[in-house]
Amino acid sequence: MSILVLGLNHRTAPVALRERFAFAEARVPTALQALRDSGAADEAVILSTCNRVEIYAATTREPRQACGVLIDFLIGAQNYRDPLAGEIYQLAEPQSVEHLFKVACGLDSMVLGETEILGQLKSAYDVALQHHHTGPRLNKAFQRAFNVAKQIRTETRIQRGSASVPSVAVEMAERIFSELDHRQVMVIGAGEMSEKAARALLSRGARSVLVSNRSYDRAHALAEELGGRAVHFEEWAREFAQIDIVISSTSAPHYVLDRARLEPLMRLRRNRPLLLIDIAVPRDIDPEVNLLENVYLYNIDDLQALADDSLKQRKEEIARCEALIRERARELLETRRPEGMPELPQPALKRD
Amino acid sequence: MFLTDRTLFAVAVVFYGLSALYSIFIFRRGFRDDNWSNYLLLAAAFAFHTLAVFKRGFSLSRCPIHNLYEATTFVAWTIVAAYLAIGIWSRLRFLGAFAAPILFGIGVFALMPSLDPPHGDKPAFTGGWISLHAALVLLSYGAFGLASVAALMYLNQDRNLKFDKRRAALSLVPPIQRLESVIGRLLAGGFVLLTLGLLVGAFALRLPSGAAYWNDPKVLWSAAVWVMYLLLLVLRWGWSHRGRRFALSALGGFAFVLLTFWGTNLLSSIHNPAVDRPAASEPSPPAGTF
Repeated sequence: MSILVLGLNHRTAPVALRERFAFAEARVPTALQALRDSGAADEAVILSTCNRVEIYAATTREPRQACGVLIDFLIGAQNYRDPLAGEIYQLAEPQSVEHLFKVACGLDSMVLGETEILGQLKSAYDVALQHHHTGPRLNKAFQRAFNVAKQIRTETRIQRGSASVPSVAVEMAERIFSELDHRQVMVIGAGEMSEKAARALLSRGARSVLVSNRSYDRAHALAEELGGRAVHFEEWAREFAQIDIVISSTSAPHYVLDRARLEPLMRLRRNRPLLLIDIAVPRDIDPEVNLLENVYLYNIDDLQALADDSLKQRKEEIARCEALIRERARELLETRRPEGMPELPQPALKRD
Repeated sequence: MFLTDRTLFAVAVVFYGLSALYSIFIFRRGFRDDNWSNYLLLAAAFAFHTLAVFKRGFSLSRCPIHNLYEATTFVAWTIVAAYLAIGIWSRLRFLGAFAAPILFGIGVFALMPSLDPPHGDKPAFTGGWISLHAALVLLSYGAFGLASVAALMYLNQDRNLKFDKRRAALSLVPPIQRLESVIGRLLAGGFVLLTLGLLVGAFALRLPSGAAYWNDPKVLWSAAVWVMYLLLLVLRWGWSHRGRRFALSALGGFAFVLLTFWGTNLLSSIHNPAVDRPAASEPSPPAGTF
């Protein structure tokens, strides 16, 4: 029995096509059942995220023939009738196993080395497992994939650093504060990027968010969305005693915060460290404040440069990761039951 | 065994030197790799250092902290021991890169022959209370020393977070707020030890005849050190003396101890009985050391 992968991702197909092939979460078990009923696969897992739709199948059929049936299934399942020009890829062993490992490690992701995909892969596998659509072949391959992802994370730098502006902001916060649990965040000027950064901080445990905006209604709306509190724009400085992290992105043509204004506020804060994230252009915060003790200022260029750095470092690690993945895929395929041995019964598989 | 305790200590100093050299490499790499090499170098140094301390202790049948060589090596020994315990936590392991040059410096200094005059048949100081007094005070200096190492690490990372952001982002140094609390705890621990050590010195030990606390340079100096650290701690908790200033104070405080410790010790008649009378002629042991 060999493992095949078939599907389309952000590299081969635009979002307009990917969304037409996507499987809604609730539909996946039925689709898996139909797939196995069609005889195209003995074991199967369907992974459907915004960046990829993939079928992982284990089959006793001849790979080329099996792939044909799988493509027909995929097209038929989504009722797709337009012509295709190579958007769907088909991989047989050993590339299929290597591909699975790469996906698990985030090597095939849009943001190189991201870890969200590993969680998505785990839940896709869990759905197939719970509905008895996997067997020894895919179980072993997926368990190995999760294991390789862990190995890659600890032994290489592919996941070191942060590759996007909001996550760099979080990373720098973690280098200043012992823990983010009790940190109070203030957003000045409600923009998309500041919202993302605030969300990222909240997801890492920051206590709550205060939102201040020239338009109070907009501040109120965002505060409600983030589970925080809105503050009138004229009054944001009054809240400063309890603030640890400020994300500023107003459209003001001049500095909103400068040294003369911040110095007395720092005394109010009893000189606790203060992280200022200025993602506005033109800048909201006078760069001079970085010279004040216990104040750490990062503007959009700083954050972008750090994100680019991480990405560059991640790219340098690709070759190492790929070599490791090839090696682990070879190990997995070599330990496979030798050809000609009788096939073991698979009671876990639902055949009806 | 043919190796003397001083030879063993010299071997330890060589390892401190190697660790200090390796620390340059860690600095240049920007504290990026989490590895055990420096920790193991310091552990090897610690092994030889421990052998040296114990050998001296067994040969004299007492805690070996009764001349400047012994006191200096003991302070260094407490710093390494504390580092090896703290360094189990991966991010604080980098403290070794800051500790190694200081330890190497202290080690080379301690090896100067004039600091270790032969004891003769009878040690200059004996007695359990004296040992306890000296050990507590020296342990406190060890804690202050390690606090200043953490302060160096803090100042380095604080600078990077402001002006060399790339280096700060890539390094595996702990959050600076945690480093600050490490400095605070070490200073508080050192202060408690120093207080206990001085109390033992003041109440459990007898002054040699003719000596007085109020005009002994070492006693006055110790009181000044105690007041200095008390002020530092009060300022931190009461008047939010934080961050870079606090780290600089911790560093400056230890630099002061390091630079004046030997001088005041040599000037003190209580701690240096050979200055005004031969130790062997004193029927009962004189009080105090360090």
